[in-house]
This record gives sequence, structure tokens and C-alpha cells, in this order.
Amino acid sequence: MNERSWAGLALALPALLVVVTFFVAPLLMSAVLAFRGKDGGLTLMHFEKAIEFYSTDLLFSGAIVLVSTAAIGAIAVAIAGYLTLGENPRTVAILRWLYRWPLFIPFIVTAQVMRTFLAKNGMLNHVLTGVGLLDPLQAQSLLDWRGIVVAFVWKQAPFVTLLVAGAMAAVDRQHIEAARNLGASRWRVLFEIVLPQSRRTLMVGLVLSFVTMLSVLSVPLMINPNSPTMLTVDIAYRINSHGDYAVANALCLMSLALASLGAWFYLREAARKADGA
Amino acid sequence: MRPFKIPLTAIAFATGVALGAAAPAVAQTTLNVITAGDQNMVDYVNNFLGPRFEKLNPGVKVRAVGTGPGDAGSQKIYEKLSAQQKAGAASWDVDVAVVHQRGAGTMVKESLLAPFRNEVAAGKLVSRDTAKNALGANVDGDVIPRFHSQIAFAYNPAVVRQPPKSYAELADWVKKNPKQFGYNGVKGGMSGVGFVMGWVAANSGMAEQLEKGPYDASKKAVIDRSLAGLREFNQNVVLTPGNAGTLDMLNRGEIAMGPVWVDMFYTWLADGKMNPSVRLALPQPGLPGQPMYYVVPAKAANGQIARRFVDFAASPEIQAEGIVKQFNWYPGIDAQHVKSKMDDKSWNKLFTDISPEALASYGRPFPLSGYFTDILEGYERVVLK
Amino acid sequence: MTATLRPRWPDAIARTVVVLLLAFVIFGPLANLVLWAFAERWYFPNKLPQEFGLAFWKRVFDPRGNAVASLGTSVAIASLTVAVTLAVAIPAGYALARLRMPGRILVLLVFLLPQAVPNLPVYVNIARVFYELGLNGTVLGVVLVHTAHGLVLAVWIASAAFAAVDVSLEEAARNLGASPWRCWTTVTLPLALPGLIASAIFVFLDSLDEFTGTYFVGVPDVTTLPLLMFNASMGGNYQIASITALLLLVPSILFMLLVERFLKADVLAMIGR
Repeated sequence: MNERSWAGLALALPALLVVVTFFVAPLLMSAVLAFRGKDGGLTLMHFEKAIEFYSTDLLFSGAIVLVSTAAIGAIAVAIAGYLTLGENPRTVAILRWLYRWPLFIPFIVTAQVMRTFLAKNGMLNHVLTGVGLLDPLQAQSLLDWRGIVVAFVWKQAPFVTLLVAGAMAAVDRQHIEAARNLGASRWRVLFEIVLPQSRRTLMVGLVLSFVTMLSVLSVPLMINPNSPTMLTVDIAYRINSHGDYAVANALCLMSLALASLGAWFYLREAARKADGA
Repeated sequence: MRPFKIPLTAIAFATGVALGAAAPAVAQTTLNVITAGDQNMVDYVNNFLGPRFEKLNPGVKVRAVGTGPGDAGSQKIYEKLSAQQKAGAASWDVDVAVVHQRGAGTMVKESLLAPFRNEVAAGKLVSRDTAKNALGANVDGDVIPRFHSQIAFAYNPAVVRQPPKSYAELADWVKKNPKQFGYNGVKGGMSGVGFVMGWVAANSGMAEQLEKGPYDASKKAVIDRSLAGLREFNQNVVLTPGNAGTLDMLNRGEIAMGPVWVDMFYTWLADGKMNPSVRLALPQPGLPGQPMYYVVPAKAANGQIARRFVDFAASPEIQAEGIVKQFNWYPGIDAQHVKSKMDDKSWNKLFTDISPEALASYGRPFPLSGYFTDILEGYERVVLK
Repeated sequence: MTATLRPRWPDAIARTVVVLLLAFVIFGPLANLVLWAFAERWYFPNKLPQEFGLAFWKRVFDPRGNAVASLGTSVAIASLTVAVTLAVAIPAGYALARLRMPGRILVLLVFLLPQAVPNLPVYVNIARVFYELGLNGTVLGVVLVHTAHGLVLAVWIASAAFAAVDVSLEEAARNLGASPWRCWTTVTLPLALPGLIASAIFVFLDSLDEFTGTYFVGVPDVTTLPLLMFNASMGGNYQIASITALLLLVPSILFMLLVERFLKADVLAMIGR
């Protein structure tokens, strides 16, 4: 280990101290509860119970978050791509103004508005039947897994878009102009020049969204807390209805494992980058 | 160019605001009242109890904070008290708390509460069983009920001409009217949990034993068998997102009937979120109800003022004027003390849909905590799998 | 940009349709929020509120409800959180992007934890520790908890921003005789600034929307507006929840406009340097 690596650690130290003292240490304090039996000994009993009761919800959570992340990525790239490469200045301006609004709406309020927006007799169906796109008798509620996905995508897509649009704006315009002058279509420019150069930022945004969605309680709780539902609902239920911190913490650790799986992709890339540096 | 402009500006801005925010007029003593339940519980303390109590007790400022509805709200109060106990704090920052039964039971078990009931006059006005026993936990002397609430079926009479008188009638009705009945399962709040408890009481033949004991772990099989019927029942109902979710779907006419907390129902009515034609009914053998309790934490910083506050809040005049007249909630202290303090018309409004007799025979306590857990876990195993 | 194209009508129509659809998707749910903020009576079968009014605004602004003071506290806490977060995240982000570091992957993962773990069980423990330290009920305590939660946004984004800075520009500055500090403040930092500013916005919003940590660490002495919003929203008290959400929009948007002003000024300042 050389001098430079110590310098790096020293620079990161204040931030690390904050997060270790004010989160990791308290996390470990509760994580041990997941392994402690009634007699105080080491046990995996709580994990067995967590898996027996909630393995479906674990898969459901993973699937919901994966689908949402994919949709967020597609939407973010599409909007940010148009903001970078769009040729109609007015549309670009409108779009830039338009897409950000959900950023300012907290998850819990997102959940609340979606509950009244996506319901069977909610505003979406009223509008669709009003303009004749939907037969009132066929109106259905979207307040199941679809509602959760819609709420997540609505709230998180602007977050990733803002990041990606920033990264795309930093791409050297000369590369883009050159490719356009050689007759490359905007799609090709997007996928072969702009996107590869903002890939890292896109990954950062998607991984952050992925883990955040896994830890949000209000959205599944207010849209669909019934089976199957997301792990956060089960954690709150174990605590509030059973006072059972052991299984709740076991579920937390399972959720964390799922989050780490998502983070893995980013970290692998970060590692590769570090090796090359 | 000045690269550090932003952090500096932010700090300057923030300090300015922080100083501005941290300088409210400070009364001599602040009485911290933390309440679980809906926002109107907080408003009740802020707008009704607080000003009246402050007038009688100069130098005291009542500050109310809410922790959210349902057992989750009570659990958060428990956690705050427990954290202070484990930290060995000399005095705690909660003076009065308003909690549900489950929370109160846990708090008593962990010695977080002061046994204060017999020290205040209003303590003599409560004789109801739920003032002594919370889901099997002995809370005698530690709590005074603020109000009593009850789960009942709310129904839209345009669709439901005759509300079902029993669970069997309900099951029949649901078969004929699929997706018109909604409840919130067991993970979304107590009105759904209460419905499941009522279902098991009606279909297991154990109604008495569930409430009075003794607890018998071998009855799990009987409970599971009664839950099997619920699995079939669920095919034709809508599962709603939470206590408020059931009311929400009634609000939009997506379901025609569902179990709700009566106090929440009246709040929704008062807030213009419920069609006034919607009615309430109690089937036999009943649905659970529970009080919310006033409690005083063992090491409350202002324990004496806290006792005065609860005594005041549980006095017959305040119960009549605030709890019954203003909110249409069932009183926490014994009915006869409250009834004598108010006009018959306001009193009778409490019983518009559910008669005092029906309430007396079909308003049940929740099962003992052992059965409570068995039923919830049985539901997860039998109904949700 | 080559904006000198002949008008192509099918394109223009498609563009308009897509933008309108997007506007509906974004403003539809928001319209619901605004409607509920002013609805005094709204139930089936009415598709729109039957009665509008300000009764619930009066309730929110009731002097005893402390909504205005709570909003002030929320903004103060969010601003302080941004300051503390950036102060520790900028060096950390730089180090993670540009310097060798033992256990680099682990460090990145550690910052992610507060966002990745459902945090209710954790905040219970933080409360206990803070009661021991006397930090409970203080603005500082709440700021520290919010900082730990928002740090990953700042560190990861800052790291990505510093990684994107072209090393050859820094080398050029050094070759022209700039000191390392001068090189850092005049080349590296300005180039990473857009990313840092984005992270400041996210940290601000993250803090402004937080209620679980605030409850365990701040209440009853420090109360913020999101606590009221949480209460109201969970109880289905749509009017009050909508009003508080609208109130919280104001500082969020102001903060965004504020930092973007700086962003523009600084980016412009860089041109021609």
C-alpha cells in the first residue's frame, strides 16, 4: 500500500465516519437480533420462518423492482436522449420543463395520488372513458403490482433522467456533429456515441433507484399491501402486529441481499474501472 | 470564478433559517402529548384539549405530535420510550401518550408506564373490562381510555338493501355479489385484522374462548379449519389497501360494503369524503373494538402535569363535549357519567345505526394475544398461500 | 444544432402526441393532488369534487398546528444537510474516482446501505444511541441522520462526476505551472460541478421528504412538515396530505432554481477560459 492509497482513504474518511457511526453501527445492533434465539444462542430459526412465510414476497419484490428499473432506464434514456439530440428546440424546452415534476413529490404522496388516480373509479379511467378509449364496464383497477410499478417509475424516472441528461450534455458535441454529418441516424448516435459515454452515470442512477425502491414502504403499503406484496410491508407487519423484531430483521437482511445483488452490477464496473486506473 | 460559492451560500442560508426556526416563544413548561391515530387525534389535542387545559394551567403549553394511524403509530411511541429506557435517560421527552391496546400491553410489560390511574379522579369513572385488560395483558391502573372504537360494516344501502346479520349471510351475499365486499387483509391495518378475528370467532365455535382464554396452542388446527372458509370467501371479495383503503374504495363506489373503524368512518364523513347515505351495521357474533388509552410514561419529564392533563381529558364534561359531541366517538369512561352531562339528542346520535343493545352484545374485545398471533399466522399460511 | 429542417408534418404530429401523453402522465396524478387540496366534499358518483374551499388550508395553517414553523425547520434541516453532506462527500467522491484506495468496493457499498435497508429497525437503535449522547431532540441529530441517508447520492454522483473529468485537462494545467490546489479549484471542480449540483438537489429533496429518522431523533422538540404529511397520508386524510405536499413543493422548486442559477453562471464563466 503506497502513500497515494492512504491519501484516498483519508479523503473518504469523514464521509465514512458519518455513515458508519450513524447507520452501519446501529444496523449491526439490530442485525444481530435476526440470529439470536429466545435463549440468546445463535440460530437460523428466524430466517427459516422468514423464508417459510415470505419467500414469495421476496421474489415479488425482486421482480417488481427489476421491471421498474428496466422501465425507468428506458424512459430516462429516451427523454435524456431527446433532450440531447432533439432537433425541435421548442419540444426540447417543453420536455425539459415537463419531466422533472415528480422529482419533487415524496414517495408517500406519490403513493397517495396513484391510489386515487389508478383506481377502478379513479381519474385515469374517468378520462379514458370520457374520451371514448375505454368501455366503462371494462374499467379495472390498476392497484396491484402494476400500480406499484407505475408509482415507482413515475417517481424515479425523472431522477435518472436528470442524471443521464447531465452526463449526455457533457458528451463532446463535435463527436455528435461529426457522426450526424456522416449520415448516422439519431438513434445510432444515441446508442453508439452518446449512451456509451454516459453509461456510468446511467448505472449509478439505476442502481440507486433499484435499492431505494426496495426500501420504500409507503408505495406498496398504500397501493397493494396484500399478498403477494413487497418485503417492506412484511417487515412493518412483523413489527407492528407481532412485535417480532427478529423476523423483521431477518427480512431486512434478505432485502439487503437483494439490494446488493443489484448493486453488484455497478460495483463490478466500478472495480473494472479502478483496475484500469 | 469562486468554486466554493455554493456550500458557503447554503450554510449562510441554512443558519439564517435555523436561527429563525429555533426561536419560538417558549412557555415555562411544555407538555408533550404524543398520539397514535389519525391526524384528527392531533387536531383534537391542539384545538380542543390544549387551549382549554392551558387556560386552567397558566404557564403550561401543550404540544401535540402524531405518530400515524394504527398499531404502527403505537409501536413508534413504544420504540421511542424503549429507546430512552435502554439509554438510561433520567427523564423522558414524552409526557402523555395515546396508544392502542397492543402497544399499551407491551409498554406495561416492559415497565415503561406509570401506574397513575388511581391517582386521578377520572380513574374512578372507568370500570369497563378493556380498561384493565388489553389483549390479555394486565393494564389495570396504567391506562385510562380516551375513547372506545368499534369495527363495523359500512355499507351503501343503494346496493346492500339488507345488511347481513351474520357471517354466514355475508358469505352468501358475497357469492351473489362478487367483488362488492372489500376488506384489507391482515397486513394493512386493524379493521381487516378485526374482520378476520370476527370470522374465526363465528366459524370456529371458539368465540368465548378466544377472548376469555385459557390459551390452548393445540387449537391452531381448529383455527386453520375456520380460515379455510375465508380462503374461498376471498375469491369473491376485493382486498383493499389498508384501513383507509377500505374507506377510500367506499368513497369511490368501488365496493359496496366493508369493515371500517367507526371513528374513522365519522371522520371521513365530516371531511366530505363519504357519501352521507352510507350506513353502519354489526353482524353477529360481532366484530372487535378497542379503546385508545391515555398513558403516562414512567419517567415523563412533567409527570404531575401529565396526570392533571389526563384527568382533565377524561373528565365527564370534556368527554361529553369533545369526544361524543364533536367527534361522534364512543366515550372512554363509563357511559352513564357522560350521558348525564349532555343533551339526549347528541347522545343518541352515537347510536343512529348501531343500537346500544347491538353494541353491547356484538362489540367484542380482540382475542388474547396468543390466539391473535395464531390467527394472523394461520391466515398467512392458509389463506395467503 | 442543425435546426433548419423543412417542416415535416407527420413528425410534428407525433411529437405533439407524445408530449401531450407525457404531460397527461405527469400532470394527471398531480391534478389529483391539487383537486384534493381544495376539495371539501368529494365522493361517488361524482367524478370531480362537489364543493371546493379553503377549510383544510385553515386547518393546516392553524397557529397551533405549527405548520409554518415546521416548514421552516424542514428547510433549515435540508439546507444544513446539503452543506454537511457536500463537505464530506466531495473529498470522498474525488478519492473514490481518482485515487487508489484499499477496499474501494466495500467503501462504495457501505455508503449505499442507508438507502438499501428498510430503515425503521435501524432508526430505533439510532434513537437509543442519540438519547445516550444527548443528540436526541436536536437539529444537529436530525441533520446527521439525514446526512447518513443522503450521503450515497452525493458520494456516488460526485464520484461519477469526478471520474468523467478529463485527466489531460488537469495535466495541461499542471504543466502550465498551476499548483495542485489551483488546478483542482479551477479545472477539476468546475468540470465536476454539474454532477455535484445535481447531487445537492437530490440530497435536499431526500432530506425534505424524510420522516422516519426525524420522528425517532427529532420529535417532540424538532418537528418537520413531512411528519404531518406522513400522518395525514397514512390515515387517508387526503386534503391535509395534499396541502402539505404542495407546501413542500415550494422550497424544493426554489432550491432547484437557486442552484441552477449558480450552475448557469458558472458554466458561462468557464467559457473562453
